[in-house]
Amino acid sequence: MSKVNTSKNNAFLIDMTKCTGCRGCQVACKQWNQLAAEKTEFFSGEGYQNPPAMSEYTFTRIKFRDYQKNGQNEFAFYKEMCMHCNDPACASVCPVGAFKKTAEGPVIYKADRCIGCRFCMIACPFGVPKYEWSKGLPLVKKCTGCYSRVLEGMKPACATACPTAITYGRRDEMIKLAEERLAKHPNKYIHKVYGKEEAGGTSVIYLTSLPFNELGFKPVTLRPLPDYTWQALRMVPAAFLAVGGGLSALSWITHRRDRLKHEKAAEQVDNPAEEKED
Amino acid sequence: MTAAKFVVNEVKGYHGFVKFLILLVVIAALASMVRFVFGLGATTNMNDTYPWGLWISFDVVTAVPLAAGAFTLGAIVHCFHIKKLEPLVRPAIVTGFLGYSLVCVGLLLDLGQPQRGWHVMRYWNLHSPMFEVSMCVMAYTTVLFLEFLSPVAERFGWNLSLRVLRWLEMPLVILAAAISTLHQSSLGTFFLIAVDKLHSLWYNPLLPLLFWVSAICSGMCIIIIEATSCHKWMGQPNEGVLLRTLAKILPWTLGLYIALRAYSLLALSVGPFFDRPVLTLLFVVELVIGFILPFFMFTQKSVREDDRRRVIAASLVVFGLVLNRFNVSMFGMMNPDQIYYPSIVESLVTIGIIAGHILFFVLIAKYFPIFEHHPETVDYTIPGRIRKSDNGAEPVSEQS
Ligand code: SF4
Ligand code: SF4
Ligand code: SF4
Repeated sequence: MSKVNTSKNNAFLIDMTKCTGCRGCQVACKQWNQLAAEKTEFFSGEGYQNPPAMSEYTFTRIKFRDYQKNGQNEFAFYKEMCMHCNDPACASVCPVGAFKKTAEGPVIYKADRCIGCRFCMIACPFGVPKYEWSKGLPLVKKCTGCYSRVLEGMKPACATACPTAITYGRRDEMIKLAEERLAKHPNKYIHKVYGKEEAGGTSVIYLTSLPFNELGFKPVTLRPLPDYTWQALRMVPAAFLAVGGGLSALSWITHRRDRLKHEKAAEQVDNPAEEKED
Repeated sequence: MTAAKFVVNEVKGYHGFVKFLILLVVIAALASMVRFVFGLGATTNMNDTYPWGLWISFDVVTAVPLAAGAFTLGAIVHCFHIKKLEPLVRPAIVTGFLGYSLVCVGLLLDLGQPQRGWHVMRYWNLHSPMFEVSMCVMAYTTVLFLEFLSPVAERFGWNLSLRVLRWLEMPLVILAAAISTLHQSSLGTFFLIAVDKLHSLWYNPLLPLLFWVSAICSGMCIIIIEATSCHKWMGQPNEGVLLRTLAKILPWTLGLYIALRAYSLLALSVGPFFDRPVLTLLFVVELVIGFILPFFMFTQKSVREDDRRRVIAASLVVFGLVLNRFNVSMFGMMNPDQIYYPSIVESLVTIGIIAGHILFFVLIAKYFPIFEHHPETVDYTIPGRIRKSDNGAEPVSEQS
């Protein structure tokens, strides 16, 4: 996979201890991307979150978690969105290369290429790409990383709207910032920068005070996912040549043996039995 | 008008079963139109959690290995030079050609933007197993079509093309085997990206190799089943003696598969393995009934030589293969609190595709000489002449 110059790779640092659950990001994202409203019911999914899942109409969403702290009920929040992986699984599996990790950070989707096979949805370890199930000729939808804004030097809509928790900037700086916060408040945070290494590193980085699995984070491998398929796919030319060449050689040998047998038989025409053996 | 009348009269003369198949195909065609009018969401049970359903699991991931008979047999007959199996080659090629054509149909129905299918050829992505499978399936369908042209040319007495095709036979067989190796295994590569999604009973880095070896096994078993049922229901000659030879190869390939499976599970997979009883059951049924039992059956001479028991063993392997592909592409990927099952439209389309396969096979066998082809009756002088002029070298041996 083409490596992105990480010094220009921008990232979201989302500090969930600072998130108030206002869902300003969710609204800003809908507005900026002109996404239709969804008809939902409160408590249709798990807990207070609404809508129940990301979809073709919802690129980002705040998940709510109830938990007990010192005998008191508390809320924890988690902003769900595309992780803009450094080496994205969605891009590696797409047969037409519709996804691309840009040098600026966002993983973008070229809708005019997509054939709608949904392999990206199988591949994404975070379950991000969604499909236009209601359409006869559907396409894929996902968070754009507000690429058009970033190109213009603006921050993504959700990061701009967020009053407290989201910082946006160069990925290396965001990681440094996250690690500084961890060092400064060791008791406040779970000691982990989620996204630093997950799935080979992502451009969305989380800090939290609750264990990540309790927030509904999926366990993901640290190895970039495209490696898993590439270790098999890189053998393709060799396999092709080995099978093709092997069989060619084999048939040359067997045919030659056959021919020699025939020639021998032709010399002594009075021996018609050779067809029978094998 | 007369042509239409002729067709109507022909169809009227068909067996009731064939008419029933035609009905199923028509229903499937209607159902697939419904899919385009109302969208995938309304007509299938696929959703954002299960983006791939029955159509990928059966029409692509399972149908491709079931059509593997053509390349396996081609290689056995022409490369390993077990010439006496030749009479089985043509039916296998017809099955393969039909199988792959229907895979293309199934894939086009499943795509969101079927009219852009050709984009695969324009925007290459060498890192995508899907890219590789699409290219191979297109190439291989062409190869099978060329191979299939032989009986067509024979039927219409086109001698020149018959000569060309005869000359092309060897290169096509080798090309077919090489291309098949790639895409049969790449279907397994599909699921290598589903780390943490596919259950550890099936997820391991050897998936591509396992897919390839099991495709070879099932390809041979399909030939056994096909030849036996053609003998039983279509009045074709009994090829029992040939199938016996084929059955002798099977314990080796099945044994290799079981060994690889055991190795990949014990040495290359990371648990937990037996945390979900349903999956454990599916795994045990697949491996024991679908592979280990027929392995032992095929090692028995009495099974190999008995038409009925041989076909039972072959059916078990096919059952094992189908279950394996469903386990990998569907059951093993499911999470217990949200279950996918196919909708009516999905099922009707898949049933129609299976019916279409049988239907077209019966019709082709009716109108083209695919069973009459016994090598003793064919004049093989043309390859002989080429051999003379080429001084013994096979036209493709440069590849090695
Ligand atoms: S989170 Fe998923 S959709 Fe987003 S870049 Fe990574 S693999 Fe692609
Ligand atoms: S659905 Fe579209 S974007 Fe996703 S893998 Fe298929 S072609 Fe690529
Ligand atoms: S980056 Fe843009 S598209 Fe993505 S969640 Fe934020 S506002 Fe929405």
